[in-house]
Amino acid sequence: MSEKREKKGRIVKETLPSEVGSIVGSLLAGIALTFLILPFDSFLILILMIPALLSLRGNLSSPFIARTSRDMIIGDFSKKTWIENVLATFTLSIITAFMIGLLTILLDLMVFNFSILHAAYLLLIPIISISFTILISIPCSTILNFLAFRRGLDPNNVVNPIMTAIDDFSTVMCFFLTLIILGVP
Amino acid sequence: MKYFKKIFKESIIIVMISSILGLFSGIVLSNSEEILYAIPVILLILPALNSLIGDISIVLVSRLTTHLYIGDLSPKIEKSDRLKENFLGLLFTTLLSSLFLIILGFSIGLSTGIKYINPFIIILIIFMTVIIIFLLMFIILFISAIFLFNRGNDPNNLLIPFLTSFIDFLTPLMLIIFITIFIYN
Repeated sequence: MSEKREKKGRIVKETLPSEVGSIVGSLLAGIALTFLILPFDSFLILILMIPALLSLRGNLSSPFIARTSRDMIIGDFSKKTWIENVLATFTLSIITAFMIGLLTILLDLMVFNFSILHAAYLLLIPIISISFTILISIPCSTILNFLAFRRGLDPNNVVNPIMTAIDDFSTVMCFFLTLIILGVP
Repeated sequence: MKYFKKIFKESIIIVMISSILGLFSGIVLSNSEEILYAIPVILLILPALNSLIGDISIVLVSRLTTHLYIGDLSPKIEKSDRLKENFLGLLFTTLLSSLFLIILGFSIGLSTGIKYINPFIIILIIFMTVIIIFLLMFIILFISAIFLFNRGNDPNNLLIPFLTSFIDFLTPLMLIIFITIFIYN
């Protein structure tokens, strides 16, 4: 009975602090979104792709983290599996970004008719923005997985919530950086 | 490149579906603009609320997957101590994190001068949304993880992309439904 309580306690003890960090990070992302993206003239069309970009942490980053932690726990982790994991995540990212861009163009043409931005922008923004985000996310999550594992913590409990905060905030910042680089109005 | 192919093959379809769902949540949000702007504190905490429920569900999937791979959890749909441990540990974490999110979100709201309409009902709505989605996701994810594992698939690759987008779509939708029932009616 006390062993069971100890295990439940471990889940709460390991997950709660990182979840608190995740909440703070997501609130920061919300504030950054309001102050950095809202002033753009093309905000109406940009807001269409933002939820899809934010959900990338779950689509690409989280499975990458979960696979890395599982490989570490079951003893399957090696340089080769990590490289293949990174390559797969990056390939999926580019395909997803292309699809988000394409669907935004279609929504703009067929439903909203905003005609604020050229189609090339709508295709390039998600591709560049996701590439930047993944370049931050992969090294950060790998290092965190290693640190958690070496300290005897379960990476499943700790890394995902911390990375949500980092990913949410870096997604908005990389999106903003992309808009600046491309000179989006 | 066997690992690369396995990840790519198992993830590509679900990642595509999730991206489409991500774009739909953008459309749902923009269509509920009026309700969300009438109760701005909901808008302020929405990204963090999505992250919270998403994180807990991701932790659940990665924990279940690891338990299944190391043989700690039987690949059958049945009650077990391991399952109860995960349920209670994650439920307690969810409730504590929600409390933290409400306190922080409302404090930020107060400091930025946001007007509050029926704060106690809003808090009740947030808790109801979190608990209902948690219970729903626990059942769906447990059954799906067992099913996928028994088919020889990695539940991490299929469930995590799906659940994040599904939660990003479901959370605002449930909030809007509850606001309509309890406040607008």
